[in-house]
Amino acid sequence: MIRKKRNPYSLALIPLYVMTVFLIIGPLLYMLLLSFATNLGSGAFSWKLTLENYRKIGDPVYLDTFWKSIKLAFLSTVLITLIGYPFGYWMSRLSKKGKQIMLLLIMIPFGVNSLIRLYGIIILLQSKGILNGVLIGLHLIKEPLKMLYSYPAVLVGMVYALLPFMVLSIYSSAEKVDWTLVEAARDLGATKTRAFATIVLPLTAPGVFSGVVLSFVPTMGLFFIADILGGNKIVLVGSLIQDQMTRGGNWPFSAAIAVILTIITSVLLLSYSHISRLVGQSGEGSGLI
Amino acid sequence: MKKTLYAVLAAVLIAALCLTVSCSKEKKQELVIYTWEAMFPDEVLEDFTKETGIDVVYSTFDTNETMLEKLSKADGGTYDLVIGDDYIIDAAIKRGLAQKLDKSKISDFGNINPLFQSHYYDPNNEYTVPYGAGIPVIVYDPEKVDWKITGYNDLWDPRLKDSVSITANYRVINGITLLSMGKSLNENDVDVIKQAGEKLLALAPNIRLIQDDDAHLALLNGEASVAFLYTSQVTTVLQSNPNLKVVFPSEGLGIGIMDFFIPSKAPNSEAAHKFLEYFLRPEVSAKCFDYLGYYCTTKAADSLVNPDLVVPEFFDGEIIQNVSLEADEQYNKNWIEFKSACD
Repeated sequence: MIRKKRNPYSLALIPLYVMTVFLIIGPLLYMLLLSFATNLGSGAFSWKLTLENYRKIGDPVYLDTFWKSIKLAFLSTVLITLIGYPFGYWMSRLSKKGKQIMLLLIMIPFGVNSLIRLYGIIILLQSKGILNGVLIGLHLIKEPLKMLYSYPAVLVGMVYALLPFMVLSIYSSAEKVDWTLVEAARDLGATKTRAFATIVLPLTAPGVFSGVVLSFVPTMGLFFIADILGGNKIVLVGSLIQDQMTRGGNWPFSAAIAVILTIITSVLLLSYSHISRLVGQSGEGSGLI
Repeated sequence: MKKTLYAVLAAVLIAALCLTVSCSKEKKQELVIYTWEAMFPDEVLEDFTKETGIDVVYSTFDTNETMLEKLSKADGGTYDLVIGDDYIIDAAIKRGLAQKLDKSKISDFGNINPLFQSHYYDPNNEYTVPYGAGIPVIVYDPEKVDWKITGYNDLWDPRLKDSVSITANYRVINGITLLSMGKSLNENDVDVIKQAGEKLLALAPNIRLIQDDDAHLALLNGEASVAFLYTSQVTTVLQSNPNLKVVFPSEGLGIGIMDFFIPSKAPNSEAAHKFLEYFLRPEVSAKCFDYLGYYCTTKAADSLVNPDLVVPEFFDGEIIQNVSLEADEQYNKNWIEFKSACD
């Protein structure tokens, strides 16, 4: 009496498959196809297939945009890691109540629309803003500094927007660290630094990697931060796509840029899963992919 | 019980029918105006009805494109008078959806400011009467700029380092660069557009920010001392700070115009002509533009309308039109290069 085992939940998975096909695979394929279409201007295109859109990306102006985006993403990820690691680490060492309060505090800003939070940063940084007011009040400066609409302002915005992701992923992996291992190392004569470097750091590495992916990838596309805090002067791949899609009216070209961006992102994600498999045998970071 | 109920219902119905029939028998004239919401002060429409006995039916659309589609489904009928933007009127006229105006019925046709006439969509002024114009202009804060700005070329002045705020439309910004070179806003020659791109790069050090929505706020919060702004933004900043100076650039203006036209099969084109005649009276025009907040297109009303809405004399104006694909591509490239050079 052998009956074929059927997964009792298989029917419940149908909506998931339908959604994946229609909302993820479908649009991706359409985008891929669109990237080979011929532009007719003002948002119109024909299905005459061409490689022209990809050739255009090779133009130094557009290549430069990719290069600048990667640089900005790299820089903000480094900053986010430097700030986020101690933060997440410290959080994991708090009492249960302390952890709950910190988690709550980190989550609360997500309840506010990110655009509104960015306008908050404008109020802080603008010429007649709070920060300049304080600096002038302390007689540190005489004339207001031009902080807004600059590269550093965009960097501040990126770090601000993406820091929680880093903190949370470091926190989640630091929380699982078995601290008795550290105690054992200390008992056996390891210095604090040594214990941290040989035990805590490797064990939290998967958290760092997932944090890096979670902050590096979005930075390339968060065009509205560059728009609002950078005054549109820092052109990211995301802003380029948006620009070509709307004002430029060149859909096939923006699709081609989006395809390249998707490829870069996928390569990053794949190498991430590869590295995390090599580093974190515990497989903690693998939850991401 | 039920029977009485039916009887009462029937009586009500019959009474209602009689009422509607008697109403329609009176045969009141109607004028169907089709445009965006809130384009006229109530007073203007009410006065028209009082004066002529013609009822105004105000029908609205959200976008120019919807209007063109509906009008073309109605085959140029249903509506008596339409207001839309320049480019869509071009399409409507080309599709034969507009009728020529009978100027003998519009005695005040000469009241229109010629700056807003004879443009590409109606070169001989046969179909349209302008109803307000949007003109991007330069606005500056005299407290921060102690010299006189007169045109686009002044934006390149090194004294304005890192203090100019501009709108984010690639055709408009390329366009004013071309105008500053004495070329057309709609230049099609790729080489000339490339030259404009090079000139645009030289503007980069002066740029504080490039934005469509907030370009004007920078003037108020102290981030910029000069801005190149759309009409609605100019109105907003002047309300907050009346000391700001508005400059109509001497090299020529880029303009967007809204116009009236009468659909080809308008049921009551007679009433539409009457309304145009009525609108072109200086005092009526002035009321409309004060309400609308766009630049006054009726020359005869210039002395009556809010002075901020008057375009000074002796200006040239051009409307942005579609250009060839190659030209458009170069415009886009100029734009990205320019933006990247600004940081």
